[in-house]
Amino acid sequence: MNMTKTHLPKSFHQAVLKWKDTFLPDYEFLLDNWDKYFPKDPKFELCAFREMGMCSEIECGEMKGKPKFTRSGDMEANQSSHLLGAIKAQASTEFGSIQQHQLTLARAQEEEEQFWILRMMAEELRHGYQMLHLLMEDDWSAVSEQSGADMVEEILSMKTGSHILGAFNVDFDSFVDNVTFCALIDRVGKYQLSMQRVSAYKPMAESMPQMLREEAFHLAAGVVPLRRWMEKAAQDSVYITTDDMQKALNKWLPRGLEMFGDERGGGTNVRYGLKPMKNAEAQEQYYEEVGKVVRDLNIRYIRARLSELNGSQAEALLDKILEERNTQQGIAWRDLLHLPHMEFFRRRGVPAFKLVGWEGEQFEDVESYLNHLAKHLPDAYRSGRDFKNYVELLTGVHNGELELGHAVRALPSLRRVGGVCPCSRAVRWVAEEPPPKGNGSDGDNGADSIS
Amino acid sequence: MSEKSSELQIRSLEDTDLGGITALDEKIGGEYRPEVWERRIGYYLRRDPEASVVAEADGKVVGFMLGEVRSGEFGLEEPTGWIEVLGVDPDYRGQAVGRRLADEMLEHLRRRGATTVRTLVDEEMGGIAEFFEKLGFEPVPMRSFAKRLS
Repeated sequence: MNMTKTHLPKSFHQAVLKWKDTFLPDYEFLLDNWDKYFPKDPKFELCAFREMGMCSEIECGEMKGKPKFTRSGDMEANQSSHLLGAIKAQASTEFGSIQQHQLTLARAQEEEEQFWILRMMAEELRHGYQMLHLLMEDDWSAVSEQSGADMVEEILSMKTGSHILGAFNVDFDSFVDNVTFCALIDRVGKYQLSMQRVSAYKPMAESMPQMLREEAFHLAAGVVPLRRWMEKAAQDSVYITTDDMQKALNKWLPRGLEMFGDERGGGTNVRYGLKPMKNAEAQEQYYEEVGKVVRDLNIRYIRARLSELNGSQAEALLDKILEERNTQQGIAWRDLLHLPHMEFFRRRGVPAFKLVGWEGEQFEDVESYLNHLAKHLPDAYRSGRDFKNYVELLTGVHNGELELGHAVRALPSLRRVGGVCPCSRAVRWVAEEPPPKGNGSDGDNGADSIS
Repeated sequence: MSEKSSELQIRSLEDTDLGGITALDEKIGGEYRPEVWERRIGYYLRRDPEASVVAEADGKVVGFMLGEVRSGEFGLEEPTGWIEVLGVDPDYRGQAVGRRLADEMLEHLRRRGATTVRTLVDEEMGGIAEFFEKLGFEPVPMRSFAKRLS
């Protein structure tokens, strides 16, 4: 295994460090205490890694078997344009997650869990740096009016609310969000990185292996605390209940599903050799994997409540409770975690703004649906701007004032508002004012996807 | 060889294996130790998730082998692959699960630059030493010493 290590040009490296000083102020504290929590682990380094010796032929799509591209300029314009969109979105998500995690990092009850998240944030910074390196290293002028430098500036200027993917525009309300985000949203990241590992653009493919290795720990930084909290919840801890965890799951899973893009799309990426799976296929695998995590957490809960049970007995009891939806040996159906329906609380893709409940039930009117959401989403989230925005759009769609396509696109988007410095706030969160019904809708049910 | 082993999949360790490895460890050792595996699997995922491997059949973990490449252990400066934990479901023994796990792991350790792979074997645990000998491991002149402090 042969890896190369490179850095951005000095001024942009400095710009990332300046960004880090603003949004990741505990970075130096992490490095100073690295050996306490991660003894023997190599010290973190802000750089771009490339893995050498990977497959040099295109692995899927219409050009399968041909040599991979080493320069975007050699690709077809549409292919290169798709690739550029994916790199920018990937970069945006990496920086975006750091901004979100920082909001509630200090609220962790356990120092170890806090340090895991802090390490994860530093590694996300490196992942963002890796994507910026791809933007700076190549010439994208054939498909973009922006220079690499301008693209880097744009990405470093984004704040929560302006990122390309919806999940990265949702504020965190407590440390439960930090952990749930790792378990659910970083899991989407794992799928995206795995798919991009076969990219027809060689520099992209070579960037993925080290990112994937680091991502594996990010998932553990979510799942391990969740398992520990389930054990404590089973012992009637007052700190974090299964209800808290369920509501966090309800908040994040719909956003995770939407990160795969519209269920009808993804074929272009496959055709261009940029990814091996269409959106729906990857999304279904993800949903199934989250189901496995939820089942594992429930087993952890049952074994903590009923220590006399062995593994097989706990599995059998879980199946019985789920099937009969009642209370068995003191454990009620509502005591456990449940996977929300795939169409619950969606605002992108095929189920966008449908009135589909947590268990897949259909609602006839917006008011009863909002009451349903109120019961299933965290209180703090419902008091935030993201939920307010959703409710306004949902109401507009269902009372006929808004076309669905406009509602989908009315989520916060990017606008350049000036500025030249790499660390300026040149891009702002601007929600486009949707036109009234019948005014130019193209019916495009857009996709919140990095594909 | 049964049908079960033909469905066997060997892959890198993932966070979703926590429950399966905990269950397999309990099946082998008779003790339920979720907190031990949360810590250990967290460690291996942090260090090098591809170095540790899992055998899966019908969606269930039936074997695992955990380890990594380190230098400087016991004065051994050369990059050394360490196989530290191994478990195979008793129902799947005799089906080359351990060998397939080892093949995958050794290949990865080689790619990571290890020139030697080492492990420690409890001689009272029947069959483990023979397993490693069949894989080409040889006893080396390093002895394990221990002293109880209580």
